[in-house]
Amino acid sequence: MAQLNPEGTLPPAVAIEEAGLDRARLVDLYRWMVVIRRADAEALNLQRQGELGLWGQFLGQEAAQVGATLALHPDDWIFPSYREFGMGMCRGIDPAAMLYLFRGLTHGGWDPASHHFAPLAIPVASQVLHAVGYALGCKFDHSSQVVLACFGDGATSEGDWHEGMNFAGVFKCPVVFLCQNNHWAISVPLEKQTAGRIAERAAGYGFPGVRIDGNDVLTVYAVVRAAAERARRGDGPTLIEAVTYRMGAHSSADDPTRYRSDDQLAAWSPRDPIVRYEAWLLAEGHLDDARAGAIRAEADAVAQTMRTKLVNAPVPPPSEVLFDRVYTSPSRTFQAERDEFAATLEPSE
Amino acid sequence: MPDHVFRLPDLGEGLTEAQLITWRVTEGQQVEINAPLCEVETAKAVVVVPSPWAGTIAHLHAQPGQSVPVGNPLVTIRSTTAAGTEEAPRRGVLVGYGPEATPESGIRRRSRSVPAPAAPGPEDVRAAPFVRQRARELGVDLARVTGTGPGGRVTRSDVEGAAQAPPVDADGDRRISVVGIRKAIARQMLRSITTIPQFTEFAVFDATRLLADRERRKQAGQSVTPLPYFVRAVVRATRDHPMLNSTWDEAHDEIVIKRAIHVGLAVNTSAGLLVPVLRDADQLDLAQIAARASELIAGARAGSLPPRDMTGSTITVTNVGASGPVETGTPIINPPECCVVGFGAIRPRPMVIDGQVVARPGAWISISVDHRIVDGALATEFLTTLVRYLEEPDA
Repeated sequence: MAQLNPEGTLPPAVAIEEAGLDRARLVDLYRWMVVIRRADAEALNLQRQGELGLWGQFLGQEAAQVGATLALHPDDWIFPSYREFGMGMCRGIDPAAMLYLFRGLTHGGWDPASHHFAPLAIPVASQVLHAVGYALGCKFDHSSQVVLACFGDGATSEGDWHEGMNFAGVFKCPVVFLCQNNHWAISVPLEKQTAGRIAERAAGYGFPGVRIDGNDVLTVYAVVRAAAERARRGDGPTLIEAVTYRMGAHSSADDPTRYRSDDQLAAWSPRDPIVRYEAWLLAEGHLDDARAGAIRAEADAVAQTMRTKLVNAPVPPPSEVLFDRVYTSPSRTFQAERDEFAATLEPSE
Repeated sequence: MPDHVFRLPDLGEGLTEAQLITWRVTEGQQVEINAPLCEVETAKAVVVVPSPWAGTIAHLHAQPGQSVPVGNPLVTIRSTTAAGTEEAPRRGVLVGYGPEATPESGIRRRSRSVPAPAAPGPEDVRAAPFVRQRARELGVDLARVTGTGPGGRVTRSDVEGAAQAPPVDADGDRRISVVGIRKAIARQMLRSITTIPQFTEFAVFDATRLLADRERRKQAGQSVTPLPYFVRAVVRATRDHPMLNSTWDEAHDEIVIKRAIHVGLAVNTSAGLLVPVLRDADQLDLAQIAARASELIAGARAGSLPPRDMTGSTITVTNVGASGPVETGTPIINPPECCVVGFGAIRPRPMVIDGQVVARPGAWISISVDHRIVDGALATEFLTTLVRYLEEPDA
């Protein structure tokens, strides 16, 4: 399913208003894509400057992250993988605080409950189980909340993913499964890891699956919104395969030129989610150059603030990082371990 | 306008060094934050390092091609930022910078007050798992290493320092850690003997005409050793029996017959046995083989050969008993090849010519072949052909 074509034109049949998108909302989608791309680039620079231990770029996946996040209600829960930094920013989380994890200052960085945004899941597909479990709780509570479970194409090879999908289908959990199929599981290309189409697997779990252009922010927005409303009505899960492309490396410790051709990258460049959407907004008169320039300036300012706050972040005591956020009521053994560790530390004069 | 030293960060989760490829800036140049400073290559990737500060490049601390340890100065930048308007440039706090003498966090590990046991075992020594692993790799007994890290912790450099001097066991046995070429030889030979069922055949050839040809060339001002004759004979025999110039493809149960003939030359060097490769030996005449072989042998001894000249041989030639009383031996195949040919020294030997025992110059040849590919009959044919080419070098 695709709406916006690569030249930034939209088939006339698509009803923008039906999707709940007024002009302000349309520009907001653009603004967020520009801001999170700029922050992503700054984070990579910070890693290269020794300020972050690791960074996983999401360059090229902005439409999937922004479209999906803005399509939800603010209190719908998102269970992200480690690459959903952009979604967290769209949820209003301080980007510097989100980077603390990658600086080794904390295991989290924000209050998941107040942002309805779970901690970044590093173990692949583990968050699918958390999402489905939370969704089952929503159902028990007769809550109107729905849950967005985020993962990549590689995660669909994991056992956890299957368990989550199956469980959600059986119990009709209010969950939307969003696969950002960026074609790469680190250095393993999609075709070496997945024989069929990811979206078609949903049929085996008893709910619908849809394959969409994940680089078209309007399509992502409309489809995630429809799937979320379906879940909210009690009709159960939907699997959305948002086809996109990882334009950068898997992480700052990876060199994609060792395993993928320039040709493939070049083939995806014309489908850049920001370029095509900007072309459409300008053509439709929803955006002008002055507003676009102001958004770019805002993005630079966000990146600069994020940098300043990050590099000046206080270093918490090691025992706090290691021990104090593990249990609400630590066991005696655990406390003894913490005390033993603390005894090996001494304040400097 | 203070000077700030930008130290090489750990660019890829646990790296210890990076090689500087090229500078993108020069001394005296103005840079903005995130301006590209240089390209470096780590064990994982080639990356562009952006500037953490705005200012003037005051000093470049490394040359292209140089290896820079993580945490060492890369570039000094004179900051142009007015004091107080921006955060003070600071040193990174992340992994790879090693223990700090004056930590910024205001906290440091206190040295243990517990007295060390009289004879500590490896488990009593304070060392990180990575350091323990390194010690195992280098064959270093941690209990015998004096730690220089915080609280007497044994560091990586302590272990590597201890590995320099061969340690002596309690009972006086010496232990030598196996690294570098010795380790590579060990791996390659183990692979050969455990994965290739090989057998060896021997022959003696008459070198009369070979030496005569050599003498003729010498008169003409061209001095050659027997080695080029051996190589050329092997190439010719291989052309007649291409099955010997092959490899066993385990994954597909296929024999791959190589189109090119690249002859490996086993060379004894001070570092150990090396096998430089005489590529496309079938395209060269005797003089060219001689010239190229001496270049390769000299390069191998000097350790100056590029990887291209050290890999890709399809059949290997070695000297067995070039000096001393040794006549021959059983060479081990250089995997993934099918055949290795060993030559002994040319000496006067008793030979039976027309029913008479006469002294003639001759030498032993031994070939070891992969029995998955070559049976005894073919090995004998190959060896017979080889002897013929050696005995008729001018044919």
